[in-house]
Amino acid sequence: MIRKWLLPLLAGLAAAAIAWHGTLVATPYVLMSAAMKRIGNADGNGRANVFAFGPMATADRQPIVRPSPDLVYSSCVFDLSQGGVLVDVEPVPEHYWSISIFDARTDVAAVRSDRDTGGKTARLALLRKGQKAPAGYEAVELGYDRGIALIRILLSDPAEFEQIDAIRRKSKCRTVSAKLLEK
Amino acid sequence: MKPWLRYSICILLGLAGGTVYAVHQVRGADMGRQVTNGPWSANTDQGTADASALTRARVALFGLLALPAKEAMYFIARTDSEGKPLDGRCIYTVNGGELDARWWSITLYKGEGWLVKNEANRWSVGGNAPERDANGNWSFTVSPQSVDGVWLPTGRTPQFDLTLRTYHPKGALLNDPAKAKLPTIKRETCA
Repeated sequence: MIRKWLLPLLAGLAAAAIAWHGTLVATPYVLMSAAMKRIGNADGNGRANVFAFGPMATADRQPIVRPSPDLVYSSCVFDLSQGGVLVDVEPVPEHYWSISIFDARTDVAAVRSDRDTGGKTARLALLRKGQKAPAGYEAVELGYDRGIALIRILLSDPAEFEQIDAIRRKSKCRTVSAKLLEK
Repeated sequence: MKPWLRYSICILLGLAGGTVYAVHQVRGADMGRQVTNGPWSANTDQGTADASALTRARVALFGLLALPAKEAMYFIARTDSEGKPLDGRCIYTVNGGELDARWWSITLYKGEGWLVKNEANRWSVGGNAPERDANGNWSFTVSPQSVDGVWLPTGRTPQFDLTLRTYHPKGALLNDPAKAKLPTIKRETCA
């Protein structure tokens, strides 16, 4: 009796290990994919490679889990399948700001803040392997086509929102032809 | 029972059990508990390729798009300093000193990490809000109803957590967060 069940039980244990690991590995991709869908539609544009300039987070507006109510978020859902994506971040004087590039697995491919740029514009070229960044852009090589570029700007007072909003809307996220990125 | 049926039963149970256990593990903790310091827990490898599959899954659920540690350290407290779960019907005093970071804030969340509706429309206390005493120490109140001084509303949610964000952390805050001096959370009274 025991011998009859031994091999099936071992197969069941192997299946459990595979399902356990598969679930853990799949979770970030699934949640990131859902976030890209939600964030890409945050300002109704629903398009990739364009910044969505969302309002400040409140209890009624929470596009992602654990949003900071002190930060203004601007997000660009990028897609490198047709070429590279260039990101230009307009600096906000005397405020903490940063641009972070998250890949489809949720890993951070790059973070640049006002501390790193000395308060100057951050210019990043999001590329696949084998592509070359245009002059003036820092190359960020990604292992996946899709992801999110996220700008955070810290407000010391919510009353600053209007002024900061006007500045951040100068930031750009745009595609560039793969031909222009050839080495 | 035929052999194929025995295999089918065991494999199906295995697949279901493995999936349920993974979901339980991911949901059962915060962004990870690599480091604990009093009531606070933090993860030091979020967003990096070094993160384990479990850490990556937890961070995706509880703090998607979190910054890596050198840019920001996130500490989450689900209990007070005595280990009792934070309860939105109670009044707490949060006490601290200067934190070795460019800026910090403490935000109140419920569930996986959602801001709580409250009458004051306030969800966080920034590092510039509480007054300092002569030694640089500060305090504020977390409570269901308005109080004098700096106040963070609980919205009477039964359970909540406090998330301490520190941007551009330095010193122990970044390099030895288990020993950094972090705020205390003292339960005063409960309704």
